[in-house]
Amino acid sequence: MKIFQMQCKMEIVRVLRNRYFVFWSLVMPILFYYIFTNVVNTNPQDEAAWQAHYLMSMTVFSVMGSSMMTLGIRMVQERLQGWSTFMRITPLSDSVYFAAQMVGQSVIHLFSITIIFIAGALINNIALTAIEWVMSGLWILLGSLPFLAIGTLIGLMKKVETAAGVSNVLYMVLAVSGGLWMPLEIMPKVMQNVAQWLPSYHYGNGVWEIVRGGAPEWKNILLLVTYLVLFMVLSKYIRRKQEVA
Amino acid sequence: MNEVLTLKNVTKSFHQKTAVDDISFTIGKGEVVAILGPNGAGKTTTISMILGLFKPSAGEVRIFNHLPQEKQVREKIGTMLQEVSVMPGLKVQEILELIRSYYPHPLPMSELISLTGLTGEELKTRAEKLSGGQKRRLSFALALAGNPELIIFDEPTVGMDISSRSRFWQTVDSFAAQGKTIIFSTHYLQEADDVADRILLFKDGTIVADGTPAQIKSQIAKPSVSFIVDPETSLEKLYLHTEIDDIYRKNNRVYVQSSNTDRVLELIFQEKLAVRDIQIERGKLEEVYEELTRGTKEAV
Repeated sequence: MKIFQMQCKMEIVRVLRNRYFVFWSLVMPILFYYIFTNVVNTNPQDEAAWQAHYLMSMTVFSVMGSSMMTLGIRMVQERLQGWSTFMRITPLSDSVYFAAQMVGQSVIHLFSITIIFIAGALINNIALTAIEWVMSGLWILLGSLPFLAIGTLIGLMKKVETAAGVSNVLYMVLAVSGGLWMPLEIMPKVMQNVAQWLPSYHYGNGVWEIVRGGAPEWKNILLLVTYLVLFMVLSKYIRRKQEVA
Repeated sequence: MNEVLTLKNVTKSFHQKTAVDDISFTIGKGEVVAILGPNGAGKTTTISMILGLFKPSAGEVRIFNHLPQEKQVREKIGTMLQEVSVMPGLKVQEILELIRSYYPHPLPMSELISLTGLTGEELKTRAEKLSGGQKRRLSFALALAGNPELIIFDEPTVGMDISSRSRFWQTVDSFAAQGKTIIFSTHYLQEADDVADRILLFKDGTIVADGTPAQIKSQIAKPSVSFIVDPETSLEKLYLHTEIDDIYRKNNRVYVQSSNTDRVLELIFQEKLAVRDIQIERGKLEEVYEELTRGTKEAV
């Protein structure tokens, strides 16, 4: 248990020291949030609702990014630099190492969520009930699982450059077409239909429902769980294939 | 003998290419063993199998009578791999503390620092900012962190300067004096000769010699008598004597190889050969090494 705590602590320290993480997961979403709710006039019908909606979009955007990129790219780096090999020789078991990474990553997400929520609340005086804040945070935390699974898939890539490139593109495509940057309603019909099948849309929609005073739809949960299982199975399958080769 | 490591008929092939071919050896507690051989002789593959990173294609590896992958084995071994790697994002001190926490009886931090010569400033540096030499030192510290009974180094001194190299071997010596078992691979013959009390000489995936440096020298290296002689002079008469194993020319000198150099001298005078600048050469380990590893195919 002591080992596990120590490992988690170190994982967290590592992420926080990563300048890319701080920029992409904290600075960018908050900056975007400020711009699209204060600088650019989007003329929403219900200003308060839009401000709460967009705060959730940006938080989802942040957590989705660090799930996919931070974890995946780091896995590739560790493997290429031989660190993973060294870890295999130490008494630390693979599963503890992996679990610590996941827990560490989740603590980081909790941290991002808190920071962005506080920033948003201060910038626009967002009034949500305590329950709504907590439920939103929880949804974003748990909903990140399929994206962590994508992270482990990216982590199986052979080169850091490929991993960084692919995860960046995937991240942006998922964010834009999932309606995280701008609401789906203003996008072409085709895009709206596509979004119905994307994990990013369902990730966002769950929390949008919460701040609207509702609850996530069953479809949101179902799709996210399906994607999680799919990515985990795929990841396991590829890993096994790589081991044989 | 207290067995620490046993390899029994171990073979490892990659895609039909045999990297290690049916090797067997046993290493006892407290031995300092050098795995010596040119590049591609199978040293790293063997070490990887000992560490449980590769599974042998055939045969078995046992450490402390267990499989290398088992946790109780891992708790008793420390290693420094050829590829120096560090965990980015953490300071040296933090990495050391983290790795120490994995072991039941780690080496105290102060001891670890004094053994590896890490400075206070280095301890506060992030791992990714270290120079090559500093990374090596960190890597060495990581190998010792768990206070291991068996220490395995794969080409440890590659890229070390002279002073860190001598410090490294001093530390290794002190560990050996504590009764720890040490296995290292090297292609520096001098190192194997100086440090190890046993050499396993690898060539093309097999062990071609196994013994103390002195044994290997006497077993294979033959003394010779060398001299300068006018190329016109016939040496044919020497060939008739059975005591002489071989005669060859190298760098303007003629070398006459025989285990009985006194007899060779006698023959030279007896036959009244017009030779000058006679020298008697004892077999050097370098020659044995060259001799044994000559013609090694460059492998991947």
